[in-house]
Amino acid sequence: MQGPWVEKYRPQTLDDVVGQEHIIQRLKRYVEEGSMPNLMFTGPAGVGKTTTALALARTILGEYWRQNLLELNASDARGIDTVRNDIKNFSRLKSVGSPFRIIFLDEVDNMTKDAQHALRREMEMYTKTSTFILSCNYSSKIIDPIQSRTAIFRFTPIKGSHIIKRLKIIAEAENIKATDGALESIVYFAEGDMRRAINILQASSTIDKEVSEESVHEVVSKAKPKDVRKIISYALDGKFMEARDLLRELMVVQGTSGEDMTTQIYQEVSKMSMDGIIDQDSYVDLIENIGKFDYRIREGANPRIQLEALLTKFLLKGKQPTT
Amino acid sequence: MLWTEKYHPQNFDEVLGNTLAKKEIEDWIAAWLAGEHPKPLLLVGPPGTGKTTIAHLAAREFADSVELNASDKRSYDILLRTIGEASATGSLFNQGLKLIILDEVDGIHGTDDRGGVRAISKIIKEGHHPLIMMANDPYSKRLKSLKTKSKVVKINKVHTNSILALLKRICIKESVDFDEHVLRTLAKQSKGDLRSAITDLEIIAQGKESITSADLELLFKKDDIHNIFDSVRTVLKSKNPKRIKDAMRIEADPAFILELITENVPREYEKKEEIEDAYEMISQADIYLGRAFQTRNYGYWKYTYDLMSLGVALSKEETYRKFARYANSSVYAILSKSRAKRDLRDRVADKIGEKTHASRRVVREQFPYLEMMFQDNDLARELADYFNLDDAEIKLFRSRKIPKRKKAKPGKSPKKSSEKPEKKAKSSVAKKENKKEKEAKPKKSAPKKGKSTSKKSKYPQDIGTKEKEGTNQNSSNIKEKPANPENKEKQVSLFSFK
Repeated sequence: MQGPWVEKYRPQTLDDVVGQEHIIQRLKRYVEEGSMPNLMFTGPAGVGKTTTALALARTILGEYWRQNLLELNASDARGIDTVRNDIKNFSRLKSVGSPFRIIFLDEVDNMTKDAQHALRREMEMYTKTSTFILSCNYSSKIIDPIQSRTAIFRFTPIKGSHIIKRLKIIAEAENIKATDGALESIVYFAEGDMRRAINILQASSTIDKEVSEESVHEVVSKAKPKDVRKIISYALDGKFMEARDLLRELMVVQGTSGEDMTTQIYQEVSKMSMDGIIDQDSYVDLIENIGKFDYRIREGANPRIQLEALLTKFLLKGKQPTT
Repeated sequence: MLWTEKYHPQNFDEVLGNTLAKKEIEDWIAAWLAGEHPKPLLLVGPPGTGKTTIAHLAAREFADSVELNASDKRSYDILLRTIGEASATGSLFNQGLKLIILDEVDGIHGTDDRGGVRAISKIIKEGHHPLIMMANDPYSKRLKSLKTKSKVVKINKVHTNSILALLKRICIKESVDFDEHVLRTLAKQSKGDLRSAITDLEIIAQGKESITSADLELLFKKDDIHNIFDSVRTVLKSKNPKRIKDAMRIEADPAFILELITENVPREYEKKEEIEDAYEMISQADIYLGRAFQTRNYGYWKYTYDLMSLGVALSKEETYRKFARYANSSVYAILSKSRAKRDLRDRVADKIGEKTHASRRVVREQFPYLEMMFQDNDLARELADYFNLDDAEIKLFRSRKIPKRKKAKPGKSPKKSSEKPEKKAKSSVAKKENKKEKEAKPKKSAPKKGKSTSKKSKYPQDIGTKEKEGTNQNSSNIKEKPANPENKEKQVSLFSFK
């Protein structure tokens, strides 16, 4: 029982971590010294933030790393109370069998400012016994005091060649074949996200023992949130209510995130423009708006409302029925 | 006759609560009648606590009275003409005292009622007549100068118990049967506003023989949402900034108001440009909600309020003369319909996230891939095991049950599988578990089972009850007594019954 490949082939040591050499080198120096400052890993999804944090903890904490690591992910309640209680209780105890204790918190950018401030205080209080590793997608959403108290490591999307290398290792270990074309297109769709790349590979391998470009395309198109094309078409036809209802259904029931939806809308609109369904002027206009709302989603409170607003931008771009 | 009028206090004794204030006012009246000229009274207190009642009762003690309230346009001139006259001309009785009542002095509008406060000050200065003023907001800036020139009497909220007692009396007089807790809820809900408590009681009790808590629910739910819908209607129907701003003075979460306005924009507005413009405002309003939440600086809310009300209202070219049916946001309907689904989704995401060091959000993005992986029987079995998913949870990724492992008991399975795929799937899982459990530690699995069962019972709506029972039964059997054939029998019967 080793779980999905993303887990089965998660690098266990710092040396195995792919594509973040400069970061790994600096981290290894901490291992040599046996101590480290508070760290913050920022970067997009699937580039190795969690993997690196776990590998680092394993290496630097030694045999009893499990007992001396507290991992809190964003789904755990992480209000001020958690920060005050759980983290405090963990970090004020002296480590046993390890030089210190590590608290790993992911998606810190999704914590409220209040919780971040509480966190900052904890970070100062227990420097003797504990060290924090924080990870986030956008360091701009982290309050300054935390930023100034951490060594920031910026993870970048993983290069295609690194992804291919990794995928080949997995394919060999799993005894499956993947054509070069298949690997290339996985890289294309993964956009530097190793988790996605491996998931595409594994899903493709269930379709076909020899993973081909076609099976990869099949997987990728199946993995897309459905109905996005339909939503756009409704909006272009001026059927705003229908478009809105479908969007709501998609986001609420399937839980599609605002960011995912924006990416999908962007891709569909690009395709529709290629197919001549959307003319070029409108296309440029729409892309400008998609970008604008992509940004607003990150600022606003409710991504769904922002996307509904984006849909209104399509209303005047379709064939104009006279009103 | 409205009950609020019918049960209006007839003298100071009947006024509820505020014993001290009543005493002060009675003393004040007595002083006037004795020929003194005490400072005017400024009664300050929340709505429905009896300020107007007290003033009206006071008026009975004087020969005459004149009253102005917020609905009058109180410019400098009007005030002086009406009150100045009243103030200068005396009547013969009661030493010719004419009580001047000014309601809602904190509501005097800055520009419309230019100089209003100044006028009042002037009247106070030269006035030979008793003057009672009333205000809701003790901290209003407009009151500042008036406060120094008058005697401020605080009128407090009426105590719940006093309201309760009055409601009881009314019920008895109207011969309505009541549950004490219904009346208590009414009293509490009124938050010291006696008038609203009586109004509410009248709404649910008039013409009835008895009232129950069911009536109560109806009242409050309707009332709250009703107010918000009124505000939404004003936003969408009106272009009058003042009215629209007023409409936003409701007790509700701005995110909820925004949701309702958003929902109904396309129901009222017809032109695409209008919808687009309105949504632009909505988008901006939402951004300030986000900023307020992010920074905990709720001062940003004021922009949200203005953008979603005024901004949306002014996005229309003309006001529509039509009846549009407004609705609650469809999101809430979708949410409640999909609750079971979402619970399941989150539960699965949590289980997977625990194993893969990822948050719900990250896991959910992987669902489509997992769905494809689960189409492969062997892989599905392995993943389900690894993530510790039960049958209901597996269903999230594949509609078919995971068939039995190919090599296990080849003689029996093929026939039965076609008849009862469900049962087969169960036993295959069971068998697999058995293998593990044989050498494993039953102690460790027992508490685990307890946990999973209890967790499951938290989500009774996830799946049909029968099925849930089955699943539960099944998993507990497996884990507790892996090799017990009797239990397997039970399993079978449970599933065939399905």
